[in-house]
Amino acid sequence: MKKLTYFPGCSAHGTSEEFDSTLKLVLKTLDVVLEDIPDWNCCGATSAHVMTENLAYALPMRNLVLAEKLENTTMGIACASCYQRMKVTKVHMDENPELAKRINSTVVEDGTYHGSVEIKSMLQYAYEDIGLETIKSKVTKPLTGLKVACYYGCLLTRPKNITHFDSPEYPVSMDQICEALGATATDFDFKTECCGASFSISNTEVVESLSGKILEMAKESGAHAIVVACPLCQSNLDMRQPDIEKLQGVKYGIPVFYFTQLMALAFGYPIDQLKFPKHIIPVEGALANIGKVDPSAEKTKKTTKAVKAESEVQ
Amino acid sequence: MARVGVFVCFCGANIADYLDVPQVVEEVKRIKEVKYAVEYKYMCSDPGQGMIRDAIITHKLTSVVVAACSPRMHEKTFRKALSEAGMNPYLLEVANIREHSSWVHQKDKKAATEKAMDLCRMAVAKSIANEQLHEISVPVTKRALVIGGGIAGIQAALDIADARIPVVLVEKSPSIGGKMAQLDETFPTLDCSQCILTPKMVDVASHPYIELIPYAEVLELEGYVGNYKVKIRKKASYVNFKTCTGCGACWQKCPVKVANEYNMGLDKRRAIYTPFPQAVPNKPVIDAEHCTMLTKGKCGICAKVCEKGSIDYTMQDEIIEREIGAVVVATGYDMWDPKPYEEYGVGRYKDIITSLEFERMVSANGPTNGVPVRPSDGKVPKNVVFIKCIGSRDEAKGIEYCSKICCMYTTKHTILLHHKVHDSHAYVFYMDIRAAGKGYEEFVKKAQVDTGATYLRGRVSKIYKKGDKLMVRGEDAQIGQVVEVEADLVVLATAVIAPKDNPDLARLLGISYDKYGYLSEAHPKLRPVETAKAGIFLAGCTQAPKDIPDTVSQASACAAKVCGLFAGDTMKKDPMISTISNEFCSGCQNCVKVCPYGAIVTDEVPMGHGSKELRTVAKINEGVCQGCGSCVAVCRSMAINLAGFTDPQIINEIVSI
Amino acid sequence: MITLGTQGKNTFLEAVNEKSGANVLECYQCGKCVGTCPVSQYMDFPPREIMQMIKLGLKNESYMANSHWFCLTCSACSGRCPREIDIPAVMEAVRHLAIEENYLNTSTKVKEIRKFHEIFLSMIKRYGRNYELRMMAEFNIRTRNLFKDMHLAPKALLKGKIPLGVKPLKSAKAIRRMYAIAEKLEKKK
Repeated sequence: MKKLTYFPGCSAHGTSEEFDSTLKLVLKTLDVVLEDIPDWNCCGATSAHVMTENLAYALPMRNLVLAEKLENTTMGIACASCYQRMKVTKVHMDENPELAKRINSTVVEDGTYHGSVEIKSMLQYAYEDIGLETIKSKVTKPLTGLKVACYYGCLLTRPKNITHFDSPEYPVSMDQICEALGATATDFDFKTECCGASFSISNTEVVESLSGKILEMAKESGAHAIVVACPLCQSNLDMRQPDIEKLQGVKYGIPVFYFTQLMALAFGYPIDQLKFPKHIIPVEGALANIGKVDPSAEKTKKTTKAVKAESEVQ
Repeated sequence: MARVGVFVCFCGANIADYLDVPQVVEEVKRIKEVKYAVEYKYMCSDPGQGMIRDAIITHKLTSVVVAACSPRMHEKTFRKALSEAGMNPYLLEVANIREHSSWVHQKDKKAATEKAMDLCRMAVAKSIANEQLHEISVPVTKRALVIGGGIAGIQAALDIADARIPVVLVEKSPSIGGKMAQLDETFPTLDCSQCILTPKMVDVASHPYIELIPYAEVLELEGYVGNYKVKIRKKASYVNFKTCTGCGACWQKCPVKVANEYNMGLDKRRAIYTPFPQAVPNKPVIDAEHCTMLTKGKCGICAKVCEKGSIDYTMQDEIIEREIGAVVVATGYDMWDPKPYEEYGVGRYKDIITSLEFERMVSANGPTNGVPVRPSDGKVPKNVVFIKCIGSRDEAKGIEYCSKICCMYTTKHTILLHHKVHDSHAYVFYMDIRAAGKGYEEFVKKAQVDTGATYLRGRVSKIYKKGDKLMVRGEDAQIGQVVEVEADLVVLATAVIAPKDNPDLARLLGISYDKYGYLSEAHPKLRPVETAKAGIFLAGCTQAPKDIPDTVSQASACAAKVCGLFAGDTMKKDPMISTISNEFCSGCQNCVKVCPYGAIVTDEVPMGHGSKELRTVAKINEGVCQGCGSCVAVCRSMAINLAGFTDPQIINEIVSI
Repeated sequence: MITLGTQGKNTFLEAVNEKSGANVLECYQCGKCVGTCPVSQYMDFPPREIMQMIKLGLKNESYMANSHWFCLTCSACSGRCPREIDIPAVMEAVRHLAIEENYLNTSTKVKEIRKFHEIFLSMIKRYGRNYELRMMAEFNIRTRNLFKDMHLAPKALLKGKIPLGVKPLKSAKAIRRMYAIAEKLEKKK
């Protein structure tokens, strides 16, 4: 049994509740127990570092200091933006002890910063600490037939000197996880092109343009669905999709899954636990591809028994 | 009684501004043995040298001290002045009061002057113990080794051979020609590369003074300038070159297909092959890694069809030795692998090729009949995007330097594309256009005007696939707009890099290389073709990226150096070498172990005067010794002295301060 | 037209270099960042031009450009820059200096962006965590666009995508204390 310190982030009980709850299902199967940081605060997301310098470090610092009170040496963060802010804070504090002392003074009542907790995104944790072999071994309902475009966004693999994880241009960790679940990851060029991120509310036109391009390229790659590991990406690509369709005059109908939802699905969890009704773009169309034999892939030597098992997903 | 003359130089302002030269002269005059001391603005000038010559004669000097710049600058000059005045040139001592005092202690005139005075005292004291030395003559083997059979090696070999000096030309691949044999047309003349190269290749093969050893590598080099011994491994070709007629029956029947290196992997060759039709020598070799007979013992078709019975599967590598006097290293360059440019989809998209692959496509003897095609579907491209600086000038993903030739050959490629595909359109993404050679700027202008190619100033940011086209996205900084070109084919001008074997070769030869693997020249401005090791010269891209005109110039320069080395029957050698006094030598052989040049061996001498019993002592080979002094340092019996730096000389220096 | 040679030492360049930890002088204007930046077409001056403006000492123009307000800190540019310049850090340095010296771009869009950030930070100050619903409502009110995204509201609320309330921090005081000390540190410089 593994234990992992967990920073939920503000959206975990709101706009990205599906991510949080399916993450917990999946970790149960993988025998990992999450320990929430007690009384965690918002990391400051984009707004803090845009407008301020010290506050932008102080908000994550409080969480880092509180995390050190738990005994685990690794912290997993689901939201890509929270992960980026916490990791950047840790890297800058570790590189500059003077700065660390100054920032620590804002939260000194909560504790002293030692930099003893390692920070990973949940995607990184799943890929590095759990591993593809283990994930594959827990699959009971493979997602064969489902073609997915894995969209990473900006903050999981960039910048290289902060994340030290996968490739900043053409990452493959999520693709490989999806393939371990039985799905096919398409050759998708826009894996790390920005979706518009925090401009969702204040600069919606930008999001519509950027996310629109991502949807276009996902469709071009032949994907049935997009898979993400970031709440803001999911929101921009899913919630704004109808508006984008109207703007571009194109019908996409591409659902946007969190990778943990697909993992839970493949691990055999019942569909009503996966929070699909929360999606704006309906998911049934894409999921219907699971178990369908792709005419172009007829040469694969699948037995009839295997095909029957897959169609049980419905 | 010693009579020392001291000449202190102002060196203009270099010395005079930072220490008190007249004061140094005054101080030096107080030394008992100094009979004449004077200062002058520029000792190295003609009048300055004249002063030294006159003073030697007038004041009957027995040794001379010049306090000036580093001996590396003018020791030779002043030694010559001594010779002209009839004094042994090795009775000169140079006190370096510039690099060792005025230039490094610019803020403390008093201390700098004191130091200069000390340096002069030491030089005076040393010079009193200087001995008259005479240059040594060593024999010289008048044969040159050229490593590498590209245009650089070919040119050097021909120039040396034309001077009636025998040349051994060693080439790694089965044929000479190098990269130039892979080119279609060369800039700025648009000469057909093969047409101007193959006559030289044939000259090499038929030259009475050139021994061409193809499909071979240098294994070992021993010795010193004028007296090297080289071991060469002739790789087994499994074909008897003497009986083979080059008819081609063998490779036409060979069933094994391997990626063809000459065509950059764009098509296949056989396991028994000649690299290209104009190969010299035009005899095939068998690729032992892929031949089924050599790996599995099956097939043997080539032997069956060979009318001359030239195939010999039992052939072994052969090690041969040659005695040579000088080496020219001309190992050429490699092309950088653009894999790190993930944002361009390198490795994922078939229609992204490198410049050398494009060159092979447009070549008449290439894999696509001289027409560029899209590797994905074989169609002829209409929109071709050329991207420069792939890996060059890129500290993040590639190398920091500029590869020099890509601006010119990309311009050439736009012209070739225009000729081969009339309705094509070239787009060139660039940061700069470097066209600094003779006729180069005119070439670029003509290309731009004639082809109408679109030049976009900006590095490409991303390439992605849309349908069966490649979208190439970058900024055109001139109009401040982001542009996306719908391309059929993308050609990357990849960086020129040093051959990956260069560091190993450098170690083998005993020369240095830089952080990129380029072999190091002795001085980048004034000695560009020599290395720090006498007798070893560099030609072509193995030293740094350059175009064909510069390569040929460098090769001819090497040839001139080699001819100069071989001009006499013997070579003069610096007499500052070690000598061993047998009376003190205990035969411990520490010096033998420590000599980096292998210049010390053992010898047997009589135990005592007239004794029949023998004892072991060390013996120094005068010709090999380079005067490094390592043996002097380890000798426990103080039996070794280094001429020019003998114990008395050094002790005098120490005692004088 | 710009006249150069009259401004004296380029203290603006020095300030940006110090704050960002990058060296703007290394930029050789290759333009790779511009083609990479997802929002370069919305900027007055794309990243490459901002670099040149800093090198020329054009402080006011740099502050008043909307470029650093549009920067998403996606780090795609710095990942591709051949001289490995931390471009988002340079953008952030210019923006923070502009805020310090009170040179604020007042175009409508930039004002809206700034308002969003101010509201977000006030939510955290009050609750310690983001109160999404209240934040969106306040944004609509303060940008006088009451019905923005209203068409999404029914579906979003029905599906429970946006929670109606917020679970504030137990130690909300700790957050307020943090804000106060951070502000003091800001002024100290």
